[in-house]
Amino acid sequence: MLIYLIAVGLSLIFGTLRVLNLAHGAVYMLGAYLCVWLTSILKPIPGMFWWAVVLGPFLVALFGGLVETVLLRRIYRWHFMYQFILTFALILIISDSVKLLWGGGFRSITYPWPLNGTIKVAGGTFPLYNLFLVAVGVSIFFGLRALLHFTRLGKIIRGVTYNREIMSALGENVPAVYTEVFMLGCWLGGFGGALATPLVTVSLGMDMAVIIQCFIVVVIGGLGSLTGAFLGAIILGLLDAFGIMVLPELALAFGFILMAVVLIVRPYGLMGKREYE
Amino acid sequence: MVVAVGLFAAMPTFVGISWVSVLCEILILTVAASGLNLVMGYTGMISFGPAGLYAVGAYTTAILIVRANAPFGLAMIAGPIVATVVSLIVGWFCVRRTAVYFALLTLAFSELIHIVIFKWYGLTKGDDGIVGIPLPGFLSSIESYYYFTLACTIVCLLAMWVIVNSAFGKALQVIRENPNRAEFIGINVRRYQLLAFVIQGFFLGAAGSLLCGFSHSVFPTNAHWPKSIDMIIACLLGGIYHFYGPFVGSAVYILLDKVITSFTEYWSLVFGVVLLILVLFFRGGIVGFVSERLSAARREGS
Repeated sequence: MLIYLIAVGLSLIFGTLRVLNLAHGAVYMLGAYLCVWLTSILKPIPGMFWWAVVLGPFLVALFGGLVETVLLRRIYRWHFMYQFILTFALILIISDSVKLLWGGGFRSITYPWPLNGTIKVAGGTFPLYNLFLVAVGVSIFFGLRALLHFTRLGKIIRGVTYNREIMSALGENVPAVYTEVFMLGCWLGGFGGALATPLVTVSLGMDMAVIIQCFIVVVIGGLGSLTGAFLGAIILGLLDAFGIMVLPELALAFGFILMAVVLIVRPYGLMGKREYE
Repeated sequence: MVVAVGLFAAMPTFVGISWVSVLCEILILTVAASGLNLVMGYTGMISFGPAGLYAVGAYTTAILIVRANAPFGLAMIAGPIVATVVSLIVGWFCVRRTAVYFALLTLAFSELIHIVIFKWYGLTKGDDGIVGIPLPGFLSSIESYYYFTLACTIVCLLAMWVIVNSAFGKALQVIRENPNRAEFIGINVRRYQLLAFVIQGFFLGAAGSLLCGFSHSVFPTNAHWPKSIDMIIACLLGGIYHFYGPFVGSAVYILLDKVITSFTEYWSLVFGVVLLILVLFFRGGIVGFVSERLSAARREGS
């Protein structure tokens, strides 16, 4: 479900801006570090973790807005290769800035109250926090659908995704929509990072592991498709679980094999729409 | 061109051992980047997975020497050949897709190669890498290996020069500019793209084999995607629409790396900023920028 949160941000950005944001993993890492940092400075306040989870991604989104307006906006019309290089440059800058600000050590956070227990469901024992994450993932999924289908902003986003010239001609401020979507995508990435802190070791390089998984998820589901990202995350999760049971040696490879097969057979993904490449 | 070769040949007499190995790295990256550039700059397909093929070359040579006691020359030739065969298989699938999808597919295959190398402990020693690869006596010093690399690089670049200036090379550029029109004038676009991809595989494999002899060791990271990014950046830095672009880019990239790391540990921060400036203001790369200036100056002069 965490991967879903991060991947859906990537997919949202690609769907609307047509930019494959390599730095999305770095955004996730930024979210995680900010959350750890905010938790440590908010120590005296009860429930500091939850404040950090709210505040951290918000800061990440602001950062995303800055990046979009200052840098990305200049390059939409250029060949997508330059987008790769630009977002790759962002990875370098973000990860070194994180090192500069917070050092290269490993950090972790304990499960926050009141989700630090476990619960017995159907004979198995699960940490409460993991169930909470599933709930968050599902609510984000429905929340995004509702946002895109029932609000005015959602209508505009879908319109811009479909045809930016026409929306522009209709008097919509397309660049502003792009900024909003990019900020939303970054917020999702940062939110995923913040919520990941009790589960993973927060360290430099955590972005690399995640961005590749996100690519697999997004490609399987279909680039730009939000439902696809949800489906893709579930498929990759199941594949990982079964892969480790059946052939632990090659568990990692299954994801890439599936990605390659999807790209060869159905490049627009399981839920994506056919389009001109 | 001749001046550059002469300069490189004379270098070891002026600089220390450590710089000779830097020069060696530059030459190896040049071979890889100019191979990649045939696909990226000349044919206009952005490949995200050159590192996979590069590692195939490196591992073939390493395994042949260490496991099969193959003679050095044979192992060096086998590297590029095996990489060519692998690129034929990978390329056959990849050229069916364009733009982002092509890039992602090459990435997927490259990462698959990485995982195979990483996990197939029996053959590749996985994470430990293959170390202590013996070289024949006459190449054992760093200077002699440098001259060997230089010779190979010159041969590769000459071959590349012939390729890009042949009718085939021109056809690739037509495909880059407009695949539909290329199809109309009777170019079999996919076959040409595949051929470019396979030639690229040969060059990447050759670079991998050279690396294997140079560092006496190979590791799975050689197949991982940051390695691909190195090559892509080397091309872009130099300028992908120019023959000398990859060479200039490789040299600048590796020298920048050495210079920046010598005075700060935050080299990727500095390099990230350099890349941003490059992308925003010098999209033609260094060679592109210089040749633009030169032609502008010439126009003013005449």
